[in-house]
Amino acid sequence: MSETTEVAATAQTGAVVSGASASLWGDAWRDLCRRVTFWVAVVILAFMGLLAAFPSLFTSAGPNGGCDVRQAKLRPKSWNPFAGGDHPFGTDTHGCDYWAQIVHGTRAPIIVGLLVTGIALVLAITLGSLSGYYGRLLDALLSRITDVFFGLPLLLGALVILTAFPSHGVLTESFVLGLLWWPTMTRLMRGQVLSVRDADYVQAARLLGARDPRIVVRHILPNAVAPVFVYGMLNVGVVIGYEATLDYLGVGLQYPTVSWGLQLSQAQEIFTDFPYLLIYPALFLTATVLSFLLLGDAVRDALDPKLR
Amino acid sequence: MVPVLIGTTLLIYLAVFALPGDPIRALGGDKPMPPAVYASLRHHYHLDQPLIVQYGHYLWGLVHGDFGETLNGQSVGDVMKTDWAVTARLGVTAWIFELVVGIALGVWAGRRKGGVVDTLVLSGTTLVIAVPTFVLAYCAQLIFGLKLGWFPTAGTDDGWPYSYLLPGIVLGSASLAYIARLTRTSLVENFRADYVRTAVAKGLTRRRVLVRHTLRNSLIPVVTYLGVDLGHLMAGAIVIEGIFNLPGIGGQIFTAIQIKDGPTVVGIATLLVLVYLFANLVVDLLYGVLDPRIRYE
Amino acid sequence: MKVKGMLVGVVAVAMAASVSACGGGGGSDSKSKTFTFANIEPEHLIPGNTNDAYGLNVETALFDTLMALDASGKPVPQDAASVESPDQKVWTIKIKPGLTFHNGEPVTAQSFADAWNATADATNGWGNNYYLSTIEGYDDLNPESGKPKTHTLKGLKVVDPQTLQVTLKQPFSQLPYVLAFIGTAPMPKAAFTDLKAYEQKPIGNGPFMMDGSWEHNRQIKTKKYDGYKGPRPAKSAGVVFKTYASRDAAYTDLRAGNVDFDTQIPAAKVPEAKRFLGDRFLSVPSGTMDFLEFPLYDPAFKNPDLRKAISMAIDRQAIVNAVYNGTFKPTGSLLAPIVPGYRATACGEACTYNPQAAKQLFDKAGGFKGTMHLMFSNADPTYEQWMTDVANQLKQNLGISNITFDKVQASDYIGRLIDHKGTGPYRSNWTMDYPSPEDYLTPRCSKPSRSGYDGTACEALIMKANAAKTPQEAQQYYQQAEDLVLKDMPLTPLWNWQDQAGHSSHIGGVHADPYVTTLVHLDQVTVK
Repeated sequence: MSETTEVAATAQTGAVVSGASASLWGDAWRDLCRRVTFWVAVVILAFMGLLAAFPSLFTSAGPNGGCDVRQAKLRPKSWNPFAGGDHPFGTDTHGCDYWAQIVHGTRAPIIVGLLVTGIALVLAITLGSLSGYYGRLLDALLSRITDVFFGLPLLLGALVILTAFPSHGVLTESFVLGLLWWPTMTRLMRGQVLSVRDADYVQAARLLGARDPRIVVRHILPNAVAPVFVYGMLNVGVVIGYEATLDYLGVGLQYPTVSWGLQLSQAQEIFTDFPYLLIYPALFLTATVLSFLLLGDAVRDALDPKLR
Repeated sequence: MVPVLIGTTLLIYLAVFALPGDPIRALGGDKPMPPAVYASLRHHYHLDQPLIVQYGHYLWGLVHGDFGETLNGQSVGDVMKTDWAVTARLGVTAWIFELVVGIALGVWAGRRKGGVVDTLVLSGTTLVIAVPTFVLAYCAQLIFGLKLGWFPTAGTDDGWPYSYLLPGIVLGSASLAYIARLTRTSLVENFRADYVRTAVAKGLTRRRVLVRHTLRNSLIPVVTYLGVDLGHLMAGAIVIEGIFNLPGIGGQIFTAIQIKDGPTVVGIATLLVLVYLFANLVVDLLYGVLDPRIRYE
Repeated sequence: MKVKGMLVGVVAVAMAASVSACGGGGGSDSKSKTFTFANIEPEHLIPGNTNDAYGLNVETALFDTLMALDASGKPVPQDAASVESPDQKVWTIKIKPGLTFHNGEPVTAQSFADAWNATADATNGWGNNYYLSTIEGYDDLNPESGKPKTHTLKGLKVVDPQTLQVTLKQPFSQLPYVLAFIGTAPMPKAAFTDLKAYEQKPIGNGPFMMDGSWEHNRQIKTKKYDGYKGPRPAKSAGVVFKTYASRDAAYTDLRAGNVDFDTQIPAAKVPEAKRFLGDRFLSVPSGTMDFLEFPLYDPAFKNPDLRKAISMAIDRQAIVNAVYNGTFKPTGSLLAPIVPGYRATACGEACTYNPQAAKQLFDKAGGFKGTMHLMFSNADPTYEQWMTDVANQLKQNLGISNITFDKVQASDYIGRLIDHKGTGPYRSNWTMDYPSPEDYLTPRCSKPSRSGYDGTACEALIMKANAAKTPQEAQQYYQQAEDLVLKDMPLTPLWNWQDQAGHSSHIGGVHADPYVTTLVHLDQVTVK
């Protein structure tokens, strides 16, 4: 089976560049700066990053702080959050200020998204390079293992493991998801390494006496890693969406962690009467995921010489 | 294929049976369960024997076509038989929808690259991918089911295909987005190819070029994607079946995981893996048909 | 391209045709006078093995018990002509003559004895086993180790076809209540030739009989039993129990007009339901209650003042309003209001919200050090919701800053509690088996208790009540037992459930009754 994403399809033929690696990335950066979607995505992600890193700049309440159950489910006074008043986004089902909760809910999904992608990337780059470069037994073994993981629908595996896991913190969830997520990226990396391995410059390096680690790190990786990197960027968004689904199914994060997915899960039963409970976290979640996707798209288009 | 099947099912079996949790005690609910009853039930499900013996029992049963017993004493095979048809119908609806509309949108966008349609399709599909499926499902159910009344809101009362339209469309929407984008990108790439330039130079109309030459080549990545897509559909079915009250195996396996009904989880998971592997096999063969550069012995 | 397109098309159409060919959908019959009842897939349909509400719903239609509960919750004879005992220990049950099962077999004392022996036998592993634990000979059928050597209860004697003599291990005045529980329904001889087949098409003695087999995850169709000679004949042509995956799905269908009865409207949907159902909405008090129980085997919770402080720091009314839309009722008693002997003021100040007094008591008890774990199961999302509110209130009112959740898989939850692995205050729940204080108090006081509470004193009081000669005397002792438990507070009552039900405009004869599982008497429902 060959790669399944369009990233691979386009990048495979476009990423082989010889000589100094600066020219591809330099060109790409200039291209990026011209794209509107790139800047839109960057601005949104920067805002979300601020929310996640410095929530106290945006709200005085702590996570789950100042919640008065008697004030539960108060609708916001108007759709304009700057109209003033105590609760610009209303209150949630526990009487907490919804704006504060949404601010605090930024950190968990972004961390999970980055961690899972990070773990999967590290595993993918290491295992994919080794498998693609050395081939034979290692490659066969790895391919069989990734086949087994491919045969298992991701959600199912996550459900089974997370249901039984006692702890539901951000780290546990990231760890479990990272373990389940690495096959596709590894496949991709392996394919990339395979296509680069037999290139002329690699042969030349070998003839000149360079050892394997040097070849892999200095020559193969920089040229093979681009599409994997792009896929990773797109992936953060996908992971965040997945995390929200797991929260909805009740096996994801839980109190005292605050996350958009949890808020969506709480809102779904009553959103016909209280639509704002669903709309606000959905907006923030969609905006974040969308930004990662747009960013990944823009970077991929910038890196692909054929689409100029 | 066989080692993968064994590997995956063993993995699932271990995950379900080795992880902590005692489903037998939970059968009594809040009411006391006398130790003798507890022992009797455990013995019945072979839970008092070592894990490897249990797996052996299970494999032996599988060879005889017996998928074991659910915690309620029903045959897992029977449970799957009735529920499988529902999930299959849902899956097929989603699949046809995403294929037809996805490819159509992709072609439309690819032909007018950079135009309004292209931008709309690209942004629309990105948006659909960004919104989690369950949010889409609730909104769709509310707007198209309850408020507008165009589709039944839940259940299978209206039979095929009417009951499955809305859930199928929601289920297939994310995959549709991917397919549309894949088609568009690969179409755009192919339009630059030399053979297209030659064909146009020869005087063929754009439409003929599209239909006779580029479309077939552009669909190769789509076909490969379809194999993986089945996995997404099966996973998405778990969420969709719950929201739209379709009594399929997606909902069954979700409940079974919650109550730790091992035989049901493993039985359904085995079936899903089989289907997935079979679909990928078909995809590989189709791939060979579509791309003459690839030939299998 | 053409080939490829055709291939895809052919495959798709073939698959579609094949799957649409197997099985069909189908709504309920609208021509004859049958009505539909929203249910969730039952676990079992054999009375002795059914303790889930959904199975009990169906069995209420298919089976008649010896006794039934009247509108005030008192047991009255149904299939029995009389149930009497001089000493609350040896009971003589006389069965009405002429009653038959759906297959024509007569209902005799042997029918009850067969069913009860099978239920009490550990080899069968049936869920209602322990209900018969008061009968002499039960221990032989449930040995501590090894297999039972006999399969019949010594205390059951079939004197003649219409008379059954039951000898109990100890006096138990509440036996008539147990006889009203559907789990004690009789079974015909035909059942024991093939129990597996019987469960797919149970043969009972009630006003409705099976119409076809149990269609798993779809429906269970029943029709009126024309040969019924019992006291509650059906007024409709039959009832179809439509199976839904969840309560939300059932409610969605009620809104769409696809089902006639929904007795499980989720709390979140109640405001909307009230609006659109109008006077077809029913709120029926339930016997189910939620408690917050403490692990007394954990030294951190040994001090009763700490437990009382926690109890007083919880604003039950606010939580019920936020999580259950005000549909549940905060309570200060260990019994549900529909149980005779219920006193609203039983708990008094210890169960009333008073944050200042709670803080004072909390400080007096020495506070709480470290992280508090709140434990509950993942069976329902509302548990996590109200636990979150409890956590927030404990944080604010008592100053306990470190609180985390232990959300336990439903299948694991009870097991952990029985093994005394509770990590902190946990959610406890009781569904009523029969409207007697004994049903609510015995689990708190009997040994080994889940919370680790030493209930010797209150168990003695319950024994006295069980042996009492008059209901008034029994009630007095039960109330004393309840007071004792509330004083020690191994658990604190939170709220009493109310069942929210609604029905369509196609049916009449609907009278809510909290003492019947289906909330309305199915036999009295008429179809317009």
